[in-house]
Amino acid sequence: MLRDVFNSIGGFESYGLISMIIFVAFFAMLILHTISLKKKDVETFGRMPLDDSSKESDKNQDS
Amino acid sequence: MENQTFYYDNKIVKNFAYATLFWGVIGMVVGLLLALQFIWPALTFGIPYTTFGRIRPIHTNAVIFAFVGNGMFTGIYYSLQRLCKARMFNDLLSKINFWGWQLIIVFAALSFAFGMTTGKEYAELEWPIDILVAVIWIVFGWNMIGTIIKRRTQHIYVAIWFYIATFVTIAVLHVTNSLAIPVSLFKSYPIYAGVQDALVQWWYGHNAVAFFLTTPFLGLMYYFLPKAANRPIFSYRLSIVHFWALIFLYIWAGPHHLLYSALPNWAQSLGVVFSVMLIAPSWGGMVNGLLTLRGAWDRVREDPVLKFMVVAVTAYGMSTFEGPMMSTKTVNAISHFTDWTIGHAHIGALGWNGFLTFAVLYYLIPRIFQTKLFSVKIANLHFWIATLGIIFYAVPLYWGAITQASMWKEFTADGFLKYPNFLETVTQLKPMYAARAIGGAMYIVGIVLGVYNLILTIKAGKFLPDEAASAPALAKAEGKRGSGEGVHRWLERRPVQFTILALIAVLIGGIIEIVPLYLIKTNIPTIASVKPYTPLELQGRDIYVREGCYTCHSQQVRPFRSETERYGEYAKAGEYVYDHPFQWGSKRNGPDLSREGVVGGRQYRPNSWHYNHMENPQRLNEQSIMPVYKWLITDDLDISTTAKKIRVMQTLGVPYPEGFDKIANDDLMAQARGIADDLKSQGINVAPTKEIIAMIAYLQRLGKDVHAAGMPTAAVTAK
Ligand code: HEC
Repeated sequence: MLRDVFNSIGGFESYGLISMIIFVAFFAMLILHTISLKKKDVETFGRMPLDDSSKESDKNQDS
Repeated sequence: MENQTFYYDNKIVKNFAYATLFWGVIGMVVGLLLALQFIWPALTFGIPYTTFGRIRPIHTNAVIFAFVGNGMFTGIYYSLQRLCKARMFNDLLSKINFWGWQLIIVFAALSFAFGMTTGKEYAELEWPIDILVAVIWIVFGWNMIGTIIKRRTQHIYVAIWFYIATFVTIAVLHVTNSLAIPVSLFKSYPIYAGVQDALVQWWYGHNAVAFFLTTPFLGLMYYFLPKAANRPIFSYRLSIVHFWALIFLYIWAGPHHLLYSALPNWAQSLGVVFSVMLIAPSWGGMVNGLLTLRGAWDRVREDPVLKFMVVAVTAYGMSTFEGPMMSTKTVNAISHFTDWTIGHAHIGALGWNGFLTFAVLYYLIPRIFQTKLFSVKIANLHFWIATLGIIFYAVPLYWGAITQASMWKEFTADGFLKYPNFLETVTQLKPMYAARAIGGAMYIVGIVLGVYNLILTIKAGKFLPDEAASAPALAKAEGKRGSGEGVHRWLERRPVQFTILALIAVLIGGIIEIVPLYLIKTNIPTIASVKPYTPLELQGRDIYVREGCYTCHSQQVRPFRSETERYGEYAKAGEYVYDHPFQWGSKRNGPDLSREGVVGGRQYRPNSWHYNHMENPQRLNEQSIMPVYKWLITDDLDISTTAKKIRVMQTLGVPYPEGFDKIANDDLMAQARGIADDLKSQGINVAPTKEIIAMIAYLQRLGKDVHAAGMPTAAVTAK
């Protein structure tokens, strides 16, 4: 079925198929990886910009 | 672990910020001049240095590499130090990065004004400056990776991944696309020809958008948006997916600039599919940005920094939706070669890059000057004028694009083109061009207000060159992969390995797309009647490149009946095999020229017509927006370079006979005299040694070889 879809795009041939397979494999691994991250770690990473160890330049700001 | 005290280098941030403002104003004022030249072509002032074809690259390069480039460095130098809890790796490298970059910009502007250009869009710099760019870029990367290595945090935050991807990919793109053989200090021929040159160039061109205008700014978004909103990014997991999917997909999308061209179909299709898929990660990123503001929308109303960010991220979403749409063949058949592309590019540049740059400047300048923004009111005024400016800029162009595309394609009941005169389709757009110029002017007024506001902020504050911070050192042993730690987690702490992986992710797409075009001969079927240019035509072609005629004229007839009716044969891959560089163009402000020389063809003009036209296009067509090129008539052709040019072409595989370089100038003079004699018979007295003769020779060659082959037009079905 997939092959039919690609063929109908026209001239797509095997390059298209190969590249799609590479991408889908890559993407699947990526999703598995992100799901497997620990919640605590993810929260710590997300907060990194908020903690830059210097309040010097912030002291004149309202927030 | 004991606390260490260190100092963030704010001076380098300040320098880049000043440069951003300075080049931003200059780049956009040049853009305004270009916009006005469409309404009053006399604004080229009749001199070479200010013609459209020469200052258009100044505008694009100034905005991309000078304004956005310096803005990117400002934000990276500020955020990288704070995210790594470390001063920049080396102050000297920072300085070299800064001054080197400014020097490149000055060289670029001068060289373009003097007509030194490779003729490849956004990669117009000639080889000595290209080498300088590569050196300074490596200095930047070295400094950045050095800083990451000596950081005091374990994890490398996602913004930095985007910076790393920017560094490696731009390095690869720049080097690959710039490979050329020098003829002289300021002239070179790219090693690629025709279709191959086109593919490499647009692989570069598209990914310059991806990795110069997008990835670094996404990095900035991931740092400055949480900072300004004072809350973490909505989903860190989503940001990981965003990063990897984006860099993986982006690199494939280049061929969407070459749809319906002579590029083989499989490559076009790859470009379409990956472009459409790009919507997913792009919108993932946009949603991640906007949702970070959930619960903080009341602050958006008050804080100009957040306001600018919201519009920036929204513009990012708009252009990353529009881009994939324009990559489908259906939309592309209408949008390509029209002002739609220009509208699209400016939503990205003015909305996404421009607004995010100003958000960053409004955020960090008060901080490094230890004061508050001078006036929130003026910043708000800037915001509104610039937002309206973007709308005034883009809407007329979309309107104009659809108008023009329809006029190009319209047939009468009898089956003739309804608007056979190309100029009619330009004249129709003049009101839209006027509105666009007003929109652009508004945006510039906004920027001037911004500069004024920031100058007063700087005056009121006290600069903090070295900002103290403290953090515990990072324990050495932690470089090893711990038990129970995933590979990617480990990788996220290892900058060098991470860089290599990112490089592999982007190389895959490039290799699969580009290599087959070189290895598989059938991709470019040869045409026996296509022969190398004569020496005079070659010199004429180089003048065509020098003057930037490709900024207004395409050389690429698409296989639509509306185009073969207007111009002649549609483009074949085999006809461009000696074109170093290719000159297909991307925007038609004037008609396609690739069939200009076909005797008896739809566009054929006698030599004398070309002479009069180049001297003063408005004399032949009062409404023409083409600049005058009268210096071609007075300036002598430099024939001292002919022999060298032939030799370089031979090295590149162009089949001139052995020893031809020695007799090339005799051949050149003989052909030149023929044209001069013909002009004389029409009452035009001009020496055969003038540049105009070479230009005419080149224009009269265009399309001849393909027509000599007697190609059928039967394959043309679409309108
Ligand atoms: C600002 C855009 C612009 C630039 C730059 C430009 N042209 Fe044009 N050109 C036009 C427009 C518009 C027309 C149609 C009106 C006319 O004939 O003047 C045109 C028409 C032409 C034609 C006539 C085509 C035909 O068959 O009707 C030729 C030949 C030509 N240009 C050559 C050149 C060359 C060579 C250069 C570079 C030295 C150049 N142009 C630069 C806009 C431009």
